[in-house]
Amino acid sequence: MIDPLNLVAILLMAAVTYFTRVGGYVLLRNRTLSARATAVMEAAPGCVLISVIAPAFVSDRPADLLGLAVTVLCATRLSMLPTVLLGIASTGAARYLLG
Amino acid sequence: MTIIQAPALAANAGATTGSEFRRGIAACMPVLLGIVPYGLVLGAQAARKGLSGLEVPLMTGLNFAGGSEFAAIQLWSSPPHILLIVAVTLLVNSRHLLMGAALAPYLRHLSKRKAFASLFFMCDESWAMSLADSKERAATGTSLPAFSLPYYMGASLAVYVAWVAFTTAGALLGPVMGDIDALGFDMAFPAVFLVLMRGMWTTAAAARPWLVSLVVAAVTHFVLPGAWFIAAGAASGLAAAYYLAGDA
Repeated sequence: MIDPLNLVAILLMAAVTYFTRVGGYVLLRNRTLSARATAVMEAAPGCVLISVIAPAFVSDRPADLLGLAVTVLCATRLSMLPTVLLGIASTGAARYLLG
Repeated sequence: MTIIQAPALAANAGATTGSEFRRGIAACMPVLLGIVPYGLVLGAQAARKGLSGLEVPLMTGLNFAGGSEFAAIQLWSSPPHILLIVAVTLLVNSRHLLMGAALAPYLRHLSKRKAFASLFFMCDESWAMSLADSKERAATGTSLPAFSLPYYMGASLAVYVAWVAFTTAGALLGPVMGDIDALGFDMAFPAVFLVLMRGMWTTAAAARPWLVSLVVAAVTHFVLPGAWFIAAGAASGLAAAYYLAGDA
């Protein structure tokens, strides 16, 4: 049920992932940042999030872009749950109608 | 603003570990709408690549980082190219370094042991929600630490349990599952991330690095195969922030 090589791959994946999770904390735990470094860290969360979802903005399916447009519009004025529900519903509907 | 914040402050004063934990779980519920189908799809793909119903939860429970698991599964073969899989995992998850660094100032009141244990569960969603929550709490002027560990753990564990459970279910049910992608559930992630970013929004000028990240990540996604777009987008946004901060 568990292949030894698969197990090695999984354990090494887990090790590098844990390293990335604690690495930033270990480096900055006892540091006081300069004003410039603080500005960079303030921008960091948004930079990470938008980079992760960037492919959605350049999808080659018109239905996906339509769904994303609705989602962006919802995100600017609604809270989390209605935005998620309307985003899913509009994307599902657009894919059904446009393919 | 003060009127809106007053109840939050009162709630903070009467908050217990249990109520904070439940607040984290509740805040995470919309996210689970995206996690559940995403987990089923990953499990089904992993089963198709020959991973067993034990290996899938082993991976998703120990690694617990969906993006890297999707990338790894695409590359999986029998036997697996271990170095390639580990390198891609590191690349996709390098954003965690930045996330942990952004969270570090809020974790000063925690012992090292608690911080190291809780960081194991840091995912995009629980990290962003906790960071937003910490900033909100700090703005209320509460004497409590801005970072609520039970809130963070509630959000993180809700995602963790759902992720491990539904990737396993996907591995076991994969062969009988249809194409759920058509239903649009994958839009849950952009939706969650965009709402979180609206919460982080201060001024258009402060958001310029985000635009740089978006453009560079999108272009990189076209030009380079694999997951380079995340690292390239994040790094270029930070470079822009560094450059723009020099102007001020």
